[in-house]
Amino acid sequence: MKCGIDLGSRYVKIVCIQDKTVAFTQKYSTIEFYRHYGKLINHELNIDFGKLGLPAEVSPQNITSTGYGRNTLKIHDANMISELKAHTLGACFQTGLTDFTLLDLGGQDSKVIKVRQGKMVDFQTNDKCAASSGRFLENMAHVLDVDLTELSQHYEHPVDISTTCAIFAESELIGKVIEGHPLDQLCAGVNYSIIKRIKPMLQSLMSPILVFTGGVAKNQAIQTLLKQELAIEELIIPPHPQYNGAIGCCFSVDS
Amino acid sequence: MKKYIGLTTTVPIEVLFAAGDIPVDINNIFINDQDASKRVEEAELAGYPRNVCGWIKGLYATVLQKEKIKKVIAVTQGDCSNTHALMETWQLKGIEIIPFDFPYNRDPDLLKMQIDKLITHFNTTWKKVLETKNELDKIRSLVHEIDRLTWETNQVSGFHNHLYQVSCSDFNHNPQTFKTQAQSFIEKAKAQQPYPNDEIRLGFIGVPPIISNLYEYLEKKDARVIFNEVQRQFSMPNKTDDIIEQYRLYTYPYDVFARIEDIQQEIKRRNIHGIIHYAQSFCFRQIEDLIFRQKLNVPILTLEGDKPGPLDARSTMRIDSFLEMLR
Repeated sequence: MKCGIDLGSRYVKIVCIQDKTVAFTQKYSTIEFYRHYGKLINHELNIDFGKLGLPAEVSPQNITSTGYGRNTLKIHDANMISELKAHTLGACFQTGLTDFTLLDLGGQDSKVIKVRQGKMVDFQTNDKCAASSGRFLENMAHVLDVDLTELSQHYEHPVDISTTCAIFAESELIGKVIEGHPLDQLCAGVNYSIIKRIKPMLQSLMSPILVFTGGVAKNQAIQTLLKQELAIEELIIPPHPQYNGAIGCCFSVDS
Repeated sequence: MKKYIGLTTTVPIEVLFAAGDIPVDINNIFINDQDASKRVEEAELAGYPRNVCGWIKGLYATVLQKEKIKKVIAVTQGDCSNTHALMETWQLKGIEIIPFDFPYNRDPDLLKMQIDKLITHFNTTWKKVLETKNELDKIRSLVHEIDRLTWETNQVSGFHNHLYQVSCSDFNHNPQTFKTQAQSFIEKAKAQQPYPNDEIRLGFIGVPPIISNLYEYLEKKDARVIFNEVQRQFSMPNKTDDIIEQYRLYTYPYDVFARIEDIQQEIKRRNIHGIIHYAQSFCFRQIEDLIFRQKLNVPILTLEGDKPGPLDARSTMRIDSFLEMLR
């Protein structure tokens, strides 16, 4: 049994794969994970696997990790691969495809990867700004006092959110609330601002098929807007969008 | 008495050495300062905005800290438009400014006029300037040899390639000492074991990095920069006896298309697998990234740096992925 761990900025995701089937999935808030299950010893992250309740067949040698912390946190005894590689492998496994563009929108990351013959041939990621990420959506939902499910329902008649900074966008949104815009249009505006940010990245690496992963892939409004805004033949949301990186870890040759 | 003359970027330093003065590339002083990030903070405290290039802020504070530099040649065309405000804020602090323009269209008459003005200002002659050029060209040839040992015989690290070439902007204030160092370096490099055949061969284009450990990190990952585009230009790689022509062939201050031609030639000649395009945060050169991506036919990683210091986790992740892609 192979085990993949994606040490994300918002959640730590764990997947176990047995006979090419996803046998176990679990996610923890990142802070909770490090606080309760991890300890730094000699610059390596020692995880209390027993406490995590992983399937008994998993041993540290069968574990591969990836994620934001991977450059500072090596899991003791486990293998490591880069995030982009993990996501490429995960998407190939989950879709059975070899030629597509992958869009992964995570807690802080926006990644666009062009995949040909099962390999990454080009990519773009957000660099100094995380305003096109899941964390942005969470903050905006909080400002609007709605949950993420409600936020993700709306895409029509979006209000214009023009601020470049994700934090200033909060006060801009409050301004729109005061102006009296209806809630559905405010939610649509938040969703549309994500599209505006990722569209230039996507356009330069486009394929007829777009695979969409990461926690934000569950947002139905963004799914709809992607189909509307981009000239794609098909948009695919794999069965486990949020676990895509962790799944990919299980398919690394090093794992 | 010899005077220290600050430079905001490469200018015809032949004039300064001919006049008996000492050119000081402020960029080199700033980036080699143990407290480089403190210089940026000082500029911000003085009122420089947060969203302005780290190099500009570093240059500002470095000159104010170095009492020896009372006069600066500031390149007002051919480098960065932020230099205009940089000059003005220096003037406010009593620094004397000598503007220098590289004409956008490479007009030889206009360029000659600019050099003429420098010659008059520094009270020297064309004869002395040309004699100095001949001397400096001999040292530049040594640096060209270091470059060849980087890409052809694979005996020099990306960092040393960067260091020797970038130093040609002022020859570390003393051409003769620099010459001895370069000669000794070449001797040692020729005795070095070549880097392995299966390493990733990278080109680095754009302004020199503000990141302190980039070359070292790449080599740890079995990738080496064998072409430092702008730094190489500082060494005047296109040999000519005519000083006007020399500064016309120098690609950095002119349009991006001449740079692209140079980069394309070197990609082919040096068998480059991938390019890192470095652009400073808030720099107009970030726009040029789209041109490089259209014109260069090799994979490109665009890397952005803001303040001086080592690679951050995010840039490291992006570099790792890029190298994996090339492998």
